[in-house]
Amino acid sequence: MADLLFLYTSIATLFGIYAILALSFNLEYGYAGQANLGKVFFFSIGAYVAGVLVVHSVAALTGYAGDLFSAQAANARLLYAAGNPAAILSLFVGALVLAGFVGAGFGILASYPALRLRGDFLAIVLIAVGEAGRVFVRVYTPLAGGNIGIGGVPSPFVFLGDREARVAFSLLVLALAFLAFVFVSRLSNSPFGRLLKSVRDDELAASVLGKRAPWVKAQVLAVGSGLAAIAGVLWAFWFQTVAADDFIPQTTFLVVAMVLLGGSGNHRGVLVGAITMTLLDHFTRPSFYAILGIQADLPFDINYLRYILIGLMIILILMFRPQGLFPERPVRTKALEVARAASGQAHADPPAAQAPPPT
Amino acid sequence: MVELGGPLLDSLLLGSLYTMMALGLTITYKVTRIPNFSHAELVTVGSYAGVVAVNLWGRGLGEALLLAFVSSAAIALAADELVFKPLFRRGATPLHLLVASIGVGLVVRYVLSIFANLYSILSAKSNLLAQTLVAFGPGANLTTLHVWVPAATLSSVVALHLLFTRTRIGKGMRAMASNLDLARVSGIRTVRVRRMTWILAGGLAGIAGTFWSVYAPTDPEIGWRALLWTFAASILGGFVSVYGTIAGGYVVGASESFGITILNAEFGISASYKPMIALVLIVVVFLIRPTGFAGLTVRGVLDGMRTFPTRAAARWRALGARLSGFLSGMRNPRE
Repeated sequence: MADLLFLYTSIATLFGIYAILALSFNLEYGYAGQANLGKVFFFSIGAYVAGVLVVHSVAALTGYAGDLFSAQAANARLLYAAGNPAAILSLFVGALVLAGFVGAGFGILASYPALRLRGDFLAIVLIAVGEAGRVFVRVYTPLAGGNIGIGGVPSPFVFLGDREARVAFSLLVLALAFLAFVFVSRLSNSPFGRLLKSVRDDELAASVLGKRAPWVKAQVLAVGSGLAAIAGVLWAFWFQTVAADDFIPQTTFLVVAMVLLGGSGNHRGVLVGAITMTLLDHFTRPSFYAILGIQADLPFDINYLRYILIGLMIILILMFRPQGLFPERPVRTKALEVARAASGQAHADPPAAQAPPPT
Repeated sequence: MVELGGPLLDSLLLGSLYTMMALGLTITYKVTRIPNFSHAELVTVGSYAGVVAVNLWGRGLGEALLLAFVSSAAIALAADELVFKPLFRRGATPLHLLVASIGVGLVVRYVLSIFANLYSILSAKSNLLAQTLVAFGPGANLTTLHVWVPAATLSSVVALHLLFTRTRIGKGMRAMASNLDLARVSGIRTVRVRRMTWILAGGLAGIAGTFWSVYAPTDPEIGWRALLWTFAASILGGFVSVYGTIAGGYVVGASESFGITILNAEFGISASYKPMIALVLIVVVFLIRPTGFAGLTVRGVLDGMRTFPTRAAARWRALGARLSGFLSGMRNPRE
């Protein structure tokens, strides 16, 4: 009997993590028009904040003085976590909060190029920044173990037992993803969300009306990057490792594919995109077939298939449905409904209901 | 004293390779306005074409180059006809075109990976060996490659120069670069010129790829790894200037080879940081002078150097003012 629980928790957790990433990209790109193709960089910041925090705090708490990135140290961390649930839980929460702030800080830094460059050049710069960051942590060993990476980041629920910890963690990730969804939905349906769209559609007009476009961009990149960093923390605690080569640009492209598929500017659509791509991601991994006990004897590495499908998906969506499966909808506010109801009563003018909403 | 003979030869070779790759990137951006990330894959295809022609079919360098030119050009052309041109026709934004080119790149790269996996050449070096002509010391051998690659780059530069100044197609490319609609109403066959552009860009990338497979072992990621260097060269050259790109390619090659040698010898910085140099170059050029070398003249540079102190001081003051404005904005964003 294949252990399907492993599969379900894996799909649920990765869906949650990717959903947070995709929602943050949607906020930046779909609403504010800032294509942050360095998403994986901000994602990795979260993972490294979690990894470094756990490594150093556990070493300080246990008085461990050897090589922090060795296998023994990783095992010691796992043992410590199993015995001290309160400590590891508070480390987890601390990492989430800290990563949110650190990610937001880097997001504000990223807004500096965003002010000066057009969309496609900004994308090139942010891809370059992401790759530079990856190369740096890969080589600079004192920070995060360099090429080997950080092992033994314990699951915060490890005291519950192995299977229960997986279930609890994946439920927590789903809950956080739901919170993120509520947060970005509320945010983007607020005056701030409409401000974002106005900057996206016509920056000049927005600034003529007294809106500070640079500050708006800085804010949205801060929020988006903070969310991405939080997703990174979840990634680190789920896989229990942080390795530089997990943060290749392909991850960003996967997130881009999710947003384009679901429909940029539509958070619900993005969730659909995230679940679709998460499933696709699972169906093209050897571990998926190993769990089901199917002998998948392809003459080539099945991982290649995943990237081909992501690429095809991106191309086909852009060519045939650039607005995504669920296109962006016009802004609806309470005030608008009231105004419409009033005008409907006053003039008995039904076509007004179909008129494009004032922006 | 740092041994600089090796870096000098390396920067000649790498600079030529980067130039050849960046030329294709520049002309496709210039004519079609696509920051083409799948250019990386054109290089990889050329590099594998070289390996297949030499290692599997036992042909020589000439035939390998021909095969690389044809196959990379064919893929470039197919990508444009199937993806970029339809997207362009329906008015896709530059950003959508960029993302589409990433998609094309992913598809080509991993189809190629499957193919390489099936033939077990995931990491392969062309059997062509570069013969040492003169040995200047440890790690500083002048090989046939150091002659062939700069010669190929030089001849493609000359050919491009003649193309842009003497032929209808080349003039058409320049016209399309400056104003597409005007070019079309002036009777330039824009579709044909566009095709020619992609063939040229793909072919140059393919040739560069073949030389790359002689220089170092190739794998499906080779183009992607070189891509950011290529972008750095192109961007340094202003992204639309062919002559700027040549300068950019050699500057990037030199900063890679000399930069890491000097940093390593003088400051003990690990050579593994090498890829960061190009990435930092991209970021810095974009932030400081987005037009790169384009439009630089000798007089402009001299003037710039003369007035540098006053301008730098003004810049610092402006930066300070902006920072304090930013901070006050943070305190009171609704102001």
